[in-house]
Formats: sequence, C-alpha cells, structure tokens
Amino acid sequence: MGCCYSSENDTQEQRNERKPLIPHPDPVSKPPNGTDWITTSVPSARTDEQALLTSILTKTAQNIIDVSAADSVMMEQHEYMDKARQYSTKLAVLSNNLPQRKALALPSLTSQPHQVLASDLVPYSDVQQISKIAAYAYSAISQIKVDAKEELVVQFAIP
Amino acid sequence: MTASLTAGLDRIQDQIGYLVISEEGVLASAGELENDEVTAGVMMQMVRTASRFRLSGAAEPPFKRMSVMLEDFVYTVTVSGQKVFVVKRQNNQQEPISV
Repeated sequence: MGCCYSSENDTQEQRNERKPLIPHPDPVSKPPNGTDWITTSVPSARTDEQALLTSILTKTAQNIIDVSAADSVMMEQHEYMDKARQYSTKLAVLSNNLPQRKALALPSLTSQPHQVLASDLVPYSDVQQISKIAAYAYSAISQIKVDAKEELVVQFAIP
Repeated sequence: MTASLTAGLDRIQDQIGYLVISEEGVLASAGELENDEVTAGVMMQMVRTASRFRLSGAAEPPFKRMSVMLEDFVYTVTVSGQKVFVVKRQNNQQEPISV
C-alpha cells in the first residue's frame, strides 16, 4: 500500500480493507421534482413493497389533474357570449320543468274567514270530554312497561 | 285592501283583538293583539304545523278553524287565501255550577 501496483497482488483480506463502507448512491432512483416519473429497472434485490409503492405512485400520477399545467382555452368574445346565452336558456327551460316548491305554502282552510271565526266557540262540554280522553291516553301510555318473564341469558344445560 | 280584510273581524261578537298575517309579516292588527308580533309568530307556527295533519287518505287538512283555548280567552285561527286570521275572543263559558 502506498506505492504503485501494490494492490495487484492483494489477498482477499486486503481487498476487503479497500471496500467502501457506504455504497455509491444511485442518482436515478430518486425521481426529479416535477411531473415526470422515470421508470427505472429495479434491481432484483428490491422487495415487492417497492414495486407496490411504485404502482401506487404511477396510478396517482395518472389520476391527478394538474389544473395549473392545463392550457388555457382561448375563446373569442362572441363565442364566449354565445355559450353563455346557450347555457342560460337551457337552465331556464330546465328550471321551468322542475316541480314548484309547495312545501311552504299554507293550504287555504276556508273561503269565508269572517264567518268561520265568528262562529260559536267550542262548547265547554266538548273541551271537558277531550281533556278527559287525553288524560286517559296519557295514563295508558305511562303504564307501558316491559314485563320480564324469563332470563335473557341462560346457561347451556350440559348433562 | 286592508279594510276589506278587517271589516268583518271587528264586528265579531266579544272579540278583543285580531291579527291578519301573511308570509311576509303582519298585515293588520287591533285591540289586544295590536302590534303583537310575538303572538303572530306563535300562531303562524301552530297553524302551519296543524295544517299538515291529514286524516288517513284525505288530501286536505281536516279542520277549518284552530282554537287555542285558554282560561279566560280563546284565539281562533283560520287560513284563507294565503293569509292567516287570528281573532282573540272572550271565553265566557264557565264550568256549570251545580247548586
């Protein structure tokens, strides 16, 4: 070591001494910044995990729509106006065909509001009867309960 | 227009106030219900809910008038031509006194 040609007749042990500790990094394996993906031929030493990762990356790259990179559509002014008019007439036609929103409209109960409102009030006897019926109903509902007859969880009988 | 709406209302016997309400708000008010927007809002909600009831198979609400009966007075409510009419009336009916 030190003088010319001294490594030619090295023994295996001496060659191991010269072997670099950190292998030279592969400059192609890391993809450059940008949207280009270079498919490298992976050495057989790489695991299936790496192949899976690469396939996910390529699929994503295919599905991504890069809005900033798209060419802006150059349309002339009259074309643009024509399209706008076309779209708004189409919208108008479609919205006319939509069912009208009637949910908020109050249905008319009578055509004679004054007469209906001036009629006799609900008789007191009716009010009493309804109150009694409502009280019975309330009492009945409050008595609804679970009547437990048997155990829900049982042991298997093993003879 | 308001005059024709309210003309009949103030002639209702033992009425002590009324409201005429539309979707936009109170169109007319008088008596104990004058400017009473709170009661108007409550009555609107009540009648809107009640008018959604249907007896089985029927297409229309099953009532012409809704009465909110309190101890001394009654609110009678109906709907006609997209307007809600509320009349507050005395409730003179007492429990019959057995002697």
